[in-house]
Amino acid sequence: MSDHGAGPRSIANPEIDITDVFTFPSPERPGNLVIIMNVCPFREIEATRLLFSDALDYRIRVRPARIAASGPKAAFAVDEQERFFSFTFDVPEQEGSRLLQTGTCRSSLGDVAVRVGDESGAQAHGVRVFCGCRFDPFFVDQQFSGAMRASRKIPKVTAVNSLEGQNVLGLVVEVDHARLFGAEAGPMVAVVAETATNGSFRARLDRVGRPEIKNFIMMDKAADPVNRDLDVRDLYSEEDGFKLRPDYLGAYRARLNGSMTVYDSLDGKTDWPLDDKGNHPLTEMLLADFQVVDMSKPFDENGYLEIERAMLRGDTHKTCGGRWVNHDIVDSLLTILINNGKGPRISDGVDRNTAPAPLTFPYLSKPNPMPPKLAPFVGIPT
Amino acid sequence: MLASLHAVEIRTTDGTIALHNLEAHIEGLEQQAARGTQSSQAGAALVDLIMLRAQILGRIADYERAQMLAERQVDRAPADALALLARARTRGSLHRFVEALADLEAAERLGLQGRELDVETAAVLQGMGRYEEAWSLRKAGEERYGDFESLAALASIHADLGKIGDAEPLFDECCRRYRGVSPFPIAQLEFQRGHMWLAGADRDRARDWFHAAWRRLPSYAQAECHLAEVEFKLGKRDDAIARLRRLAADADDPDYAAQLARMLAETGRPDEAKTWRAHAESRYHELVLRHPAAFADHAAGFWLSAGNDPPRALRLAEINLGVRDTPRARALLERARRRVQETRS
Repeated sequence: MSDHGAGPRSIANPEIDITDVFTFPSPERPGNLVIIMNVCPFREIEATRLLFSDALDYRIRVRPARIAASGPKAAFAVDEQERFFSFTFDVPEQEGSRLLQTGTCRSSLGDVAVRVGDESGAQAHGVRVFCGCRFDPFFVDQQFSGAMRASRKIPKVTAVNSLEGQNVLGLVVEVDHARLFGAEAGPMVAVVAETATNGSFRARLDRVGRPEIKNFIMMDKAADPVNRDLDVRDLYSEEDGFKLRPDYLGAYRARLNGSMTVYDSLDGKTDWPLDDKGNHPLTEMLLADFQVVDMSKPFDENGYLEIERAMLRGDTHKTCGGRWVNHDIVDSLLTILINNGKGPRISDGVDRNTAPAPLTFPYLSKPNPMPPKLAPFVGIPT
Repeated sequence: MLASLHAVEIRTTDGTIALHNLEAHIEGLEQQAARGTQSSQAGAALVDLIMLRAQILGRIADYERAQMLAERQVDRAPADALALLARARTRGSLHRFVEALADLEAAERLGLQGRELDVETAAVLQGMGRYEEAWSLRKAGEERYGDFESLAALASIHADLGKIGDAEPLFDECCRRYRGVSPFPIAQLEFQRGHMWLAGADRDRARDWFHAAWRRLPSYAQAECHLAEVEFKLGKRDDAIARLRRLAADADDPDYAAQLARMLAETGRPDEAKTWRAHAESRYHELVLRHPAAFADHAAGFWLSAGNDPPRALRLAEINLGVRDTPRARALLERARRRVQETRS
C-alpha cells in the first residue's frame, strides 16, 4: 500500500486506488518481464469477496528506455512507442453461491480472457496474466513513518507492521520481453500503471510509478516553500507519467524539493546539497515517475533505485533495478532520503510480512481469509 | 429520453458489483464490531456504510442498526468527536434534527471543524427547513471546493425549494465534475432530480430521472418505488403494480405496501388492496411509535390516501411540521386539514 489513499480522489474512491506497482525480471523464467499492479485497499475488509469495477480500465503502460545522461543531470530517455496491457472486467454472473467475474486483458500482442481469482491465471499470445484477491505484500510501520513527518525527527522503532494481513486486488502480467518491442530493442523498459474511466469520456484517475512518491514525499504540505495549503497529489495522478505537463511542474518540483530537504535534515547533516536554484539532486529523477528495469540483468531482490542512484553517481548500474515484491522499500527510500546511503540504514523495524511473495507466478501470496483489524493510526496514508 | 440525460451520461461501476463490494465491506467491519476491537474511525465508517445501504435498499432495519451502533459508540467514548458526528448522521436520518444539531455542537466543542462538520450541519438545517442557514454553509462549501459534492449539495437546496431553474444547471455541472466511478452518488443525484421534477409536476422528466437512477442501481428501492408511482400516473398501471408487488414483498418499509394498496384500489382490485393496506397500516403504526419524527410524513400520506383516516393524518402532519418547516410539510398539513374539513362537512 505504498500509494494507497494518495490524494482526496483515491481516498473517496477505493476502487480506483492503485496501492503498489512492481516490475522485475521473472525469477522463474529469465527473459520474461513481470509487472504487478495492486488496487483497492479496502483496509478492513474481507477482500476475498471483492470484485473489479466494470467501469475502469486498469492499464499498465510500457515503453523502451535508455540512460540519456549520467552525473548530476542524470536522466532517462523514454521512447514514444508504447505497449500496454489493459484490463477490463465484465458484470459478474451468479455461479452457485458466488459471483463469477470475467474480463479481458488487451494488448498489442493479442487479447487474453481472464477469470477473476483463477489461481493458474490465463495465457495466450505469449502473455500470462492473473487477476484476483491477494495478500497485500506491502509492509510498513506507519507510526514510524508518520511520526517522522509530524515530529521532523527519526522516531523510536516500534516495529509493528501496520498493514499486516490485509488484502488487495492484484493484476499480474508476465510477458517475454523480446516480444514486446522486438529483439533489436534495448534491454531497459519504463513502466507506469493507471486506472482510467472506461466510458466514452476517458479520464486518468490514478497513476503510479515509483512507490511512496505521493505519500512519503508529496503529502508533506508543511515542507513546501510555495503551496502550503494545496494537496497536489490528485493533479499529479492525472498526469501522463511519461510526460508531465509543464503547467504544474513547478508545483511538483517545489513539493519534492521541500519535502526531501526535510528528510535530508533529519540526521543533522546534509547529504543532498541543493543546487543554486534550490533543487534537490533527486527531484528531476523522481519526477520522471516510472519504474525502470534492465532486462539484461538477472532477477535481483534489491534492485530498487539502484539504476537511478548509479546514474547520479556517474557509475554503471549492476542490478536489474525495478522493484521486487518483497523488497523493503520503506527502509531503502528513507535511508536514501536521509543519508544517501552514507550512514546507518534507516529502518522502521519491519523488514518483511508474514506471507512473503513466492518466486513463482503470480508472485503474490494467497489472500488472507479474514484480514485483522488495523490500528487506528493506519487511516493516515503512509 | 430527455436530452439532458444524454448530456450527463456517466459510466459508473455496475450496480451489482458496487452493492456486492458494499455488503462485503459492511460485513468485514461488522465482524470487527462484534469482536469489540473496532477503532473509532472504523466504527464511524461502519455507521456511514450501513446508512448508505439503508438509503439504497430502503431498509428501516439498517437505519435502526446504524443508530444503535452510533449510540453505542458515543456511550463508549463520549468525548470522541467522530462518534458524535456519526450519531448526528443517524439522528438526522431519523429526523431527530434537534438532537443531531446538539451532537454536532458537542463535536465542534471537542475540536471537530472544517468541511465534514459544515456538510453535516447544513444537511440537518436543510432537513429542518432552515434553508437560509443551510444555503450559507452550502454556498461557502461550493465556493471553497467547487467539486461534485459541494455543487450537488447546493443543487439539492434549490430542488427542495422548487427552484428548478436554479437547480438544473447545478445538477448538470456537478455531474460534469464527477471524478469517480461509484454509482451511489450519481444514482442518488438522479433520484433527487426525479423527485424535484415530480414535485414540479413534470411526470415525464421525473420518470426519466427515476428510471436513470434505477437503471444505474437496480437495487435502489426508493427510486423504483417513485418510478412506479410516476408510471402509474402516466398510465403504465400494470408495470407500476408489478414493480411494487416485488418491492413490497421483501421490504420492511411500509411505503411500498401503501403505494401498492392505493394503486390496486384505483384499478378495481379491492381485496388485494385490503391485504396490503392492512400490512402498511400495522407497520406504520409500529414505526410511528418507534420513530415518530421519521415516519410522521409518510404515515400521514398513507392515512390521507389508502389508509383513509384524515384526523389521524392531520395529527401526524402537525408532528411533521413541528419537526421540519418545509414547503412539503406545509403542503401536507394543508392537505390533511382540507380532508378533515371535507369529512366533517
